[in-house]
Amino acid sequence: MKKARKIPLSGLAAVLSLGLMALAGGQAVGFDAPEEVTLDQMADLYEPVEFDHAAHIELTEENCAVCHHHTTGETPVQARCLHCHATPQPAESVACADCHPQNRYAASYLRAMTAAPYRYHTDIVGLKGAYHRLCLACHQEEGAPTGCQECHARTERGDRRFHAGAYAPAQRPQAAHH
Amino acid sequence: MKKVSRRSLLKAGLAGGVAAGLAGRPASARATASFGGYPESMGVLVDLTRCIGCRSCEAACNAEQHLPEPDLPFDDTSVFEEKRRTTERAYTVVNRYETPAAEHPLYRKIQCNHCNEPACLSSCFVNAYRKTPEGAVIYDPTVCVGCRTCMVACPFYVPAYAYSSATNPVIKKCIFCYDTRLRYGRPPACVEACPQEALTFGRRQDLIKMGHERIRNHPGRYVDHIYGETEVGGTAWMYLSSVPFDQVGFDTDLGTAPIISYVKEFLTIVPMVLTIWPALFVGFHLLATRKENARDKEKKS
Amino acid sequence: MRAAVANGKLGPGEAVQAGEAARWTLREKLLLGLSGRQYLALVFRNPVNWVLACIFAVGVPVIVGRFVFGLGWATHGSYDYPWGLFLAWGLFTMVPLSASGFMLGTTVEVFGRTDFKPIERLALLNGLLGYFFAVVYLQVDLGQPWRLIYPMFVSLGPAAVLFLVAWHVATYLSVQIAEVSPAFFEWIGWQRGKQVVRSMILGLTIAGIILSTLHQGALGALFTYAPGKVHPLWYSAPFQWFHFFISSIFAGLSMLIVVSSLCKRFMTWRCDERFLGSLDRLTIGLAKGSSLALATYLVVKIIGVAHDGDWLYLATGWGQYFLFELFVGVIVPLALFTRAIRHDRAGLARVAAWIAVAGIALNRINTALVAFNWKLYQEVPHWREVVIVATIYALYFVVYRFILYRWPILYEWREGQEEPCMTLSRSSTGG
Repeated sequence: MKKARKIPLSGLAAVLSLGLMALAGGQAVGFDAPEEVTLDQMADLYEPVEFDHAAHIELTEENCAVCHHHTTGETPVQARCLHCHATPQPAESVACADCHPQNRYAASYLRAMTAAPYRYHTDIVGLKGAYHRLCLACHQEEGAPTGCQECHARTERGDRRFHAGAYAPAQRPQAAHH
Repeated sequence: MKKVSRRSLLKAGLAGGVAAGLAGRPASARATASFGGYPESMGVLVDLTRCIGCRSCEAACNAEQHLPEPDLPFDDTSVFEEKRRTTERAYTVVNRYETPAAEHPLYRKIQCNHCNEPACLSSCFVNAYRKTPEGAVIYDPTVCVGCRTCMVACPFYVPAYAYSSATNPVIKKCIFCYDTRLRYGRPPACVEACPQEALTFGRRQDLIKMGHERIRNHPGRYVDHIYGETEVGGTAWMYLSSVPFDQVGFDTDLGTAPIISYVKEFLTIVPMVLTIWPALFVGFHLLATRKENARDKEKKS
Repeated sequence: MRAAVANGKLGPGEAVQAGEAARWTLREKLLLGLSGRQYLALVFRNPVNWVLACIFAVGVPVIVGRFVFGLGWATHGSYDYPWGLFLAWGLFTMVPLSASGFMLGTTVEVFGRTDFKPIERLALLNGLLGYFFAVVYLQVDLGQPWRLIYPMFVSLGPAAVLFLVAWHVATYLSVQIAEVSPAFFEWIGWQRGKQVVRSMILGLTIAGIILSTLHQGALGALFTYAPGKVHPLWYSAPFQWFHFFISSIFAGLSMLIVVSSLCKRFMTWRCDERFLGSLDRLTIGLAKGSSLALATYLVVKIIGVAHDGDWLYLATGWGQYFLFELFVGVIVPLALFTRAIRHDRAGLARVAAWIAVAGIALNRINTALVAFNWKLYQEVPHWREVVIVATIYALYFVVYRFILYRWPILYEWREGQEEPCMTLSRSSTGG
């Protein structure tokens, strides 16, 4: 498993840094892990997030399974995963987007999820959901930033969408009716 | 006797009674108690344990439906200080609930639940509403008279009314983004905007299975109920919650019968009155006036 | 205004002298045979007209405002209480109070009780005007009144209860116009029209019974759409239509007692002997009908509570209020009616009728507004809403009075005497 891996975290996302061979010790990170990853799932409303992968590897004490489940070959964190993944093999790909689809609601995807017989994982969150649920849950627990704009600043388009910033409604008395 | 035939009987009776030409109604509008929804209809599963109250869905709805500018920005959390409902200017709102059972506040998104057998549809006397096979409850504002019976009938207090308009006030409510998205197989704008995937879009039947799986796979996280699976005949939008539903603003007394089933008791008597009354009262008349008639005859002869 | 006539300040006789023309004239028909100046003097002398003028002075601009600025201006524009006072009073109360038309139509034409003839026309007119103004109230309440015909011809929703209400009220209104038209034809002197209507009267009456049974019931059934919203004590899916229908019977009869007693008191000059002489007896007859309906209603109300298993609610505050409504609106008038019948006291029956009318209003407003959204908050109507309701009621009063003064409702048109004779006969003509 020494092959250099790309981690295409999103359609446009490029892995900024490859081939960090030796992150301080630990076999778990014994393969190429990017140092930084650009997350730009919502790039129209928010600036892309420069995700400091390296820092989070440290924060998780190099337990990749905290975020990558069983795909890196480590024992999953959640008990219910152990039924099948008690002794996991490293997967072909550890990239989030390989399992968590960007287009979660594409008709073809929805059909594939339910049409395949015996399929267990029919309730996989999309890529954006995966990021937010994973990141936010941990950030809340660890007291890390949780505000939307603490991770990604809104773009001008985003301000317009939220009627905020330069597009905030003029202060006015409450509408009279109802 | 099946409900369907009762309904058609009613229609026939009405037609006879008022000599109204019967406009054919789309099969979709024939809501009966036995109608469990279109098999392929889509829905959304709202997972309250995932919602963080960011109001992205509200902002997305506002943009998608070209609604008026809100009073406060969509990132303003002061709106949570009061419980809001859907209005003519907001087809979806998120409310915050502090509950004793949960550590964190819970947020609940409100919008049209898109019932399998919509009360609004069955109460509308201009047939403005339609339940599409995709699952949306849509309406034609160009025929809306403004009687607001659908607002009375909706058990979820969803339809709002454009009270502010003097010239063209009509009903205003969520249409599941039918025109711009759902009919093309795409999820509504709110679902797409949700960062947490608290809203899961899919076939209603799949979502029900998914919901029960989530409950099963996360012992202790959820109340063992999908709100909307059976309520008032089932809804396309359904909810999972970590606390009892009545603590987060849901009406848990609605029962499983569609609203129309409460009205059927009256609808059933309509054809009977229409057909029996004339003969009955002509009979009364003949009985009551038979002496006079006899007298009249005598006079003549 | 005609109170002045009744008070003898300007009696019918005076008017008769004033009305010299023995022909069909505007003056005869519209000014009661008075000259324009005399008529105006009468109008200004009557304090009731001053009250009416005040109501119109405030109310008409508010009504105009409602159509210019929309419902949100005239009402609270509540999303939770889509129906306010316009419908609670204007539709849900006015319609049962107008059931007199079909009740008396049935009594006289179907059951052949010709002894009720003297009051039949008043009953029919009360029905017609009540329905007509219910539609006026509805038009104020509808967001787009100009689309009123949509459910009839443009986009039909025949499975909706309101569809039935719309069609039945519209058809019944036509039936009532036909039923009342003989009085109008006599007034304008068109005998032919009267004969045509006479020949259809049994059919019209039976159509009236059918339509009334259904739409009186349908008004109740409208609330069955809101099982979770109307308090269980005021809600009963199987019985709601029956509650509304049965209560409309005593509502209509009681309203007729009220109106006829007002006519006797304030419009004596317009009533003929046939009406005045039989009114006490007829009042007792109407009281009998009312008390039967009241008793039935009371029983079915209790059955409704029992059937739905709402006993426990009676112990709550809502239960007290429900019992209050039932006591004041049903039991008290029932007791008074019974007493009035036993002792043949028409006066007491009139008191009972007033209470029964108030009781019906209480019940309908309770169902539509007070017990509605009992789990939410209580909506209190906007003052403009109240003003509009009062203004339209004042208009109803004015139209009602205008017709009673002129058409042969309270007096019998003398066949064979052509219209001009109106001015020659003291008793039967409006001086």
